Amino acid sequence: MSELDLSALPRPKSQPWQVRNPKNTWLITAASVLPMVLAVIITLGAALDPTVATILVFLPLQIIASVSVGQYIYGKKGRGDALLVIFTIFFSTLVGVLLVSVMFSVVVNGIRAMSPQFISQNNVYISPTTSLGYGGVGHAVLGTVLIVGLTTLFTIPLGILIAVYLTETRGRMRSTVRTLVQAMSGLPSVVSGLFIFALLISPNFGNATGFTQQAGWVGSIALFPLMLPTVARIAEEALRLVPQELRNGAYALGAPAFKAFWQVTLPAARSGLITAALLGVARIIGETAPLILTTAPANNTNLNVFEGSIATLPTYLYSYISQAQATSQQRAWGAALVILILVFVLFSLARVLGSAKSTKAKKRK
Amino acid sequence: MENIATSASHLRSEDVNVWFGERHVLKNVSLNFPGNQVTALIGPSGCGKSTFLRTLNRMHELIPSAGFAGRVLLDDKDIYGAEVDPVDVRLNIGMVFQKPNPFPTMSIRENVLSGLKLTGRRGYIAEEVVETSLRRASIWNEVKDRLNDPALSLSGGQQQRLCIARSLAMNPEVLLMDEPCSALDPGSTRRIEETITELSDSMTIVIVTHNMQQAQRVSHQTAFFLSEEGNPGRVVEFGKTDDVFNNPVDPRTNDYVNGHFG
Repeated sequence: MSELDLSALPRPKSQPWQVRNPKNTWLITAASVLPMVLAVIITLGAALDPTVATILVFLPLQIIASVSVGQYIYGKKGRGDALLVIFTIFFSTLVGVLLVSVMFSVVVNGIRAMSPQFISQNNVYISPTTSLGYGGVGHAVLGTVLIVGLTTLFTIPLGILIAVYLTETRGRMRSTVRTLVQAMSGLPSVVSGLFIFALLISPNFGNATGFTQQAGWVGSIALFPLMLPTVARIAEEALRLVPQELRNGAYALGAPAFKAFWQVTLPAARSGLITAALLGVARIIGETAPLILTTAPANNTNLNVFEGSIATLPTYLYSYISQAQATSQQRAWGAALVILILVFVLFSLARVLGSAKSTKAKKRK
Repeated sequence: MENIATSASHLRSEDVNVWFGERHVLKNVSLNFPGNQVTALIGPSGCGKSTFLRTLNRMHELIPSAGFAGRVLLDDKDIYGAEVDPVDVRLNIGMVFQKPNPFPTMSIRENVLSGLKLTGRRGYIAEEVVETSLRRASIWNEVKDRLNDPALSLSGGQQQRLCIARSLAMNPEVLLMDEPCSALDPGSTRRIEETITELSDSMTIVIVTHNMQQAQRVSHQTAFFLSEEGNPGRVVEFGKTDDVFNNPVDPRTNDYVNGHFG
């Protein structure tokens, strides 16, 4: 036997499953380019509205082209394949365009109001005619952070407790609780606000004084029923993803149920639970209706969530967008941009927190 | 190696019966596991040997539909007694599972010490425990330079030996092993078998296996489980491993160990 060559070989340039008949390559390229070119010519020639033309001219042309090429190359199954590919690409592009255009309009409109002073200053001494060089949403950012923070403070533990009850115990009320939580997630936010308003602020909807005045903490409570189902359901999924073998491993070592949960299940579900907390915050950070009912708008900075009027970003946005002056509307767009930035910061923070454990474990000792 | 028990306890099951829901899956299993002996449980899939193993340290009752009758005696004390806490039972009777299940968020060192932490015995946590346990599971030389690496960075065979080390750190009197080598390559299997043989000097071992050669290599005595035509599983033959394999009393045992069915 001749000498064996044991050295590694370089990866070949093309893989067997990537080789395509050159004629087919031409056909596929034509089917991808021609409908678009044709659609552009027709749209410009007939002076059609671009949106209408995309749906009524481009989409049918593309379907005809792709389906016939699919039929020609792969036969019958090529037709269905081509249709599915076209619809997938078209609708995912549509969703992508919608998402980008929302972000785009917020950024384009909001950037005009944006400046360091817009984020740091509050709204005292600002009238609708004051130029954008003065005043800002600093007080509303703080208000949002405080109110959402307070809600988060009691909702996250409760939501995770519900998830623990649903996944880690054999409680008899599990299916009832799960149904209730699901029903809760369908609660309209304005109803939640109205309920808390009626319960705590004005029991008779009249002049009778209720338990309390409008205040930040009442807003926090009104946000609670909106946040809880999101947190509980995602946390439940996260805990359910932890393999049963891990819990068994802990039990087999003689661990009591609570310690097995605390030291094995919980760390294993960590990143999922952080996601749950985060999506919960994202769910309520832009909520407007409950806060309009339960908090009183303010122009000054109020750090006391337990008393007095307090501004939040959504209520600030709401009150300014309904005013006629251009500067007011620009302030509202600016507030919208600040909300987006806040959400973005939160998401980035959670990503970092979620992956911190693994790097820390490596560094130790 | 001073704090390792050298005389192992004696485990005995008396008329163990098991149900899942209303289905009777195991009937009147009475087996004797003397100290420092390795007992192999063999039999076709679904005959209830893994289920039986799980009754021996009360892991069985963690399954919601589980039912049980009978007695399991550890040194003549019933582990199913009304005053006994199942958590304490599992302290003395360790278990290694079919699929390696190291704790993914912990390092190799933390995995070995996890049992002590999980049971609130922080006072026992020491570097010697890590080394001793890993040595007894014959994995020390492979991991001694990377104790702080994540447990999941190990190969499947190493993970399984880490899981054995994790059990050994608790210094159990009895070790139950549920097909510990079924997911492993021949090299890792051989090392675990050597580990079992060494461990039997200091503890009682019960091992479920589908591998006839393995049962012959590692065990002193063998029990053959069988469940026929939907009847509950039971022990058809129990005795010295040599006798069960070479001179079985029951013809069905003969058929099974020679590969005629199952």
